[in-house]
Amino acid sequence: MTDESIMEAVKNGDLQQASVLFDRYQKPIFNFLARMTLDRNVAEDLTQNVFFRLIRYRTSFREGNLFRSWVYQVARNVFVDHCHKEKQMRKPDYVDVEKVRDYILDRDDEEQSEREKVLYLSLQRLSIEQRELLTLTRFQGMPYHEVAELLGTSVANIKVKVHRAIRQLRDHYFELEKI
Amino acid sequence: MDKEKLENALIDYIDGLLSETEQAMVEHELATNPEARKIHEQLEVVLGTMEAYREFEPDKNARSEFQEFLDAEMTNVRRIRPAQRLVYRIAAAVALVITGAGIGYWISWQQEQKSQLMALKSEIRQTRQLVMDKLENDQSAGQRILGVQAAYAIESADQEIIDALIRVMNADPNANVRLSAIDALKHFHQEPGVRKALIRALSEETDPVVQIALIRLMIEMKEKEAIEPMRQITTDVNTLPAVRDEAYAGIFRLS
Repeated sequence: MTDESIMEAVKNGDLQQASVLFDRYQKPIFNFLARMTLDRNVAEDLTQNVFFRLIRYRTSFREGNLFRSWVYQVARNVFVDHCHKEKQMRKPDYVDVEKVRDYILDRDDEEQSEREKVLYLSLQRLSIEQRELLTLTRFQGMPYHEVAELLGTSVANIKVKVHRAIRQLRDHYFELEKI
Repeated sequence: MDKEKLENALIDYIDGLLSETEQAMVEHELATNPEARKIHEQLEVVLGTMEAYREFEPDKNARSEFQEFLDAEMTNVRRIRPAQRLVYRIAAAVALVITGAGIGYWISWQQEQKSQLMALKSEIRQTRQLVMDKLENDQSAGQRILGVQAAYAIESADQEIIDALIRVMNADPNANVRLSAIDALKHFHQEPGVRKALIRALSEETDPVVQIALIRLMIEMKEKEAIEPMRQITTDVNTLPAVRDEAYAGIFRLS
């Protein structure tokens, strides 16, 4: 069954079907939110909120819409609400070392671990919009045309912005590596 | 090639998005330009690290927490549905009685008017007076509903009638009369003050059926100023779950 037909069933009252969508989307949505918040614990809570909203606002899903775009839109709204609540719309000026440790789990490859840590810090220096673009296109593997639809803009505009974000990420990465 | 263009080309080169000609140009640049080689190496490190970044595994308990929420929602839906059906039946019965009474009233009223051959101006004046009299009838909710129905039929209501309808919507002790007043005010929502009065009523109304009617009307009117009173409804501990759900849906649609 497609995501859309399952969501239609949920909308029409077969709520148990939502567990299928949970199994399909929990991991990608959690990863999206983990990279947006850069905090695993917060991402856990926000992911639950996304699925609670999916049930609560099930009637707002429109026939003909892509479920994936819709659920990511819900996730974006949950994230924005979280930012408003925490007043974190502006980047924090400091980096919480404990948070880095929580986010970057130990791995056997020490060199890769070190790179991930620098990448984490570099991502944190980007604007929320840039981090979202890189998360969707690079980590989530979403094609440009789908991101453009989700954000309500053109493919060309998305490509320009993604390239700009990568250029800035590179600058931050190698600045931090010198430290 | 300027630096920005070079970086863009190198990103597309790493992603394998270039045509053969463009690829050859980039490779020539890499062979002859040390700066290009340095940027390329750095981009490969950054993009490669992103590529190798692990996917996080979500908490295993989240699945059972979601199932608990789902079970609670399913129980809630089962509990609300019969209640909703009852509300709809009552509403349909009330609507039928009101419509019947309204039609009967109008037929007799028109016959009476014809027989008296009154001038059009005086007819309007009398109608208006009739509406006002009925709206202010403290003894009978049925008469007040008839008054609201009559006001509904007036194409361009004057301020006095609108004020009377707002008064009924805010203060009438009978929920059915208040519902009828809301329905009539919907037709005058372009008049100054009506939208604001409806929004204010949303903040003050406590009857669930009337609250739901107001929320649905706000959604229909696309009234963004109603978001705040809806938020208050969602946080009010005394609000019924069905009303809270309507308010959540309202906030979502209007945001």
